[in-house]
Amino acid sequence: MIEVQHLTKRYGRVTAVEDVDFKVERGEILGFLGPNGAGKTTTMRILTGFMPATEGKAIVAGFDVFDQPIEAKRRTGYLPETPPLYPDMTVVEYLDFVGKLKGLLPADRRQRVRAVMDRTRITDMADRLCSKLSKGYRQRVGLAQAIIHNPDVLILDEPTAGLDPKQIIETRELIKELSGDHTIILSTHILPEVSQTCDRVVIINKGRVVAVDTPENLTARLRGSETMYLQVDAAHADAPAVLGRLPGVTRVTESDRRDGLVGYEVESEKGHDVRRDLARAVVTSGWGLLELRPMRMSLEEIFLSLTTDETPTATEDGAPNA
Amino acid sequence: MRNVLAIANKELRSYFASPIAYIVIGVFALLYGWFFVAVLGFFVRQSMQMGQFGGGAQSMNVNQQLIRPLLQNVTILILFMLPAITMRTYSEEKRSGTIELLLTSPITDFQIVIGKFLGALALYAVMLGVSLIHLAILFVYGRPEWKPLLTAYVGLLLFGGCFISVGLFISTLTKNQVVSFMATFGVFLFLWVITWIGSTVPSIEGLVTYLSVIDHFDDFSKGVIDTAHVIYYLSFITFGLFLTAKSVDSERWRG
Ligand SMILES: Nc1ncnc2c1ncn2[C@@H]1O[C@H](COP(=O)(O)OP(=O)(O)O)[C@@H](O)[C@H]1O
Ligand SMILES: [Mg+2]
Repeated sequence: MIEVQHLTKRYGRVTAVEDVDFKVERGEILGFLGPNGAGKTTTMRILTGFMPATEGKAIVAGFDVFDQPIEAKRRTGYLPETPPLYPDMTVVEYLDFVGKLKGLLPADRRQRVRAVMDRTRITDMADRLCSKLSKGYRQRVGLAQAIIHNPDVLILDEPTAGLDPKQIIETRELIKELSGDHTIILSTHILPEVSQTCDRVVIINKGRVVAVDTPENLTARLRGSETMYLQVDAAHADAPAVLGRLPGVTRVTESDRRDGLVGYEVESEKGHDVRRDLARAVVTSGWGLLELRPMRMSLEEIFLSLTTDETPTATEDGAPNA
Repeated sequence: MRNVLAIANKELRSYFASPIAYIVIGVFALLYGWFFVAVLGFFVRQSMQMGQFGGGAQSMNVNQQLIRPLLQNVTILILFMLPAITMRTYSEEKRSGTIELLLTSPITDFQIVIGKFLGALALYAVMLGVSLIHLAILFVYGRPEWKPLLTAYVGLLLFGGCFISVGLFISTLTKNQVVSFMATFGVFLFLWVITWIGSTVPSIEGLVTYLSVIDHFDDFSKGVIDTAHVIYYLSFITFGLFLTAKSVDSERWRG
């Protein structure tokens, strides 16, 4: 349904998104997870045809967003980070206007406006001015306008940002309901959000995709292991085997090799400190031990910079320093 | 077309939802009323003098001596009013984020520009409509020709359309409404007074007279619709709208 290939976006000399690749199947909810400044909004703006990519291509519902923008836009609903409401219109007037923009015919439009208000539970607010709506209702009207033309694809940029816990739960329920009829991409920088709502997660950091997996697998990968970096002099073909036999060690991979020095990444079970065993094994094998330090996986680093609690006040955090 | 009209309609509504429409129309009505009284007074004095010196009041032509100078004053009012109409058309959409809705809807940038143009033109037409009320009085008490009046209003609409297209373009360039107003005003004042330079340099006089927006209006106020002037205004408007669409597009690329 959505296919993104080698997408790159530069703002002048700032590279916001670099070589991003992913696919979303029909009916899936894909979570786009990353800290602030990761490039989520930029990617979504390219997918919705708001701005062109510097390189690469994006296909939405079978149409290239750059070559056939009108066709692609017809099949896309978009909720930007701030709901694009006109303060001087009532909710009904606004939805009717969006319906016209999306090319709905009058008879169909009236019926659609009623249907989406019903679906997003804003019928009570129908005649209220958009400027007089609470944050939660603004977000729902934003969702309503995104689905008014019954698009194949829904793109939601931080749909729960700034909502209170009750509203967050309601919005998630709503998104899950919508996933029956639409393929959805939603972005978030809140970790629990993806495990609650999404079928699959793309983790993005500093404009690059660092992992694509199901929420369960990602959590397992994180909980399950710790990694050490070990550097020895000279290459020993049996080193991985020797280290791999140590108690608690789950995996050994060679990470770098230069000037006769070889570095290994040693993964071990969580809570099992393997440093003493590693040091002993290196010395008894007669190799020179040059470096041994705990290493954080980049994924974990990113997760640490993500917000893990759901209080709305804690949603502003900076990009992580590598 | 439907979505173009939807945008035009939305623009017109938003003018009336903010103080802008009321200020523009109110100020215009006041100043226009003032001009009207002044020009009428002058006309009445003149025709009384003419009466004393033998020639009947009939020899005074309402169209030539009253309506034409009046409409020339109107063009000056327009110079001040129209930048206020267009100054925030694009900047407001950017500020509120609704530009994201427009640019991700299945319409072209040019359709959006035309919609906004028609919306501003409609407000301008409403504003001109106020001036018709005064002129109606003339029809009650006298018998002015309506044909030159009609052509003059066609001319005013085209002339104002040029302003609007430039104003739209400038509103894509700056978020600051004051800057937007002053720049639009400045560009138009320049195109207005360009003939002053032209008349001192004979070699460019033709070109400069052609470029001057106001010179093309003269024939309309005399009751003549010359296709050359219509073409001038329409190409001016098209060019302005084209620049606006280009500017929106280039902003997309810059992000
Ligand atoms: N219009 C812009 N001009 C210049 N840089 C931008 C612009 N928009 C975003 N950026 C930069 O691009 C990067 C990605 O931003 P964004 O896509 O908004 O991230 P996210 O939505 O994940 O928080 C950031 O470093 C941001 O500073
Ligand atoms: Mg963002």
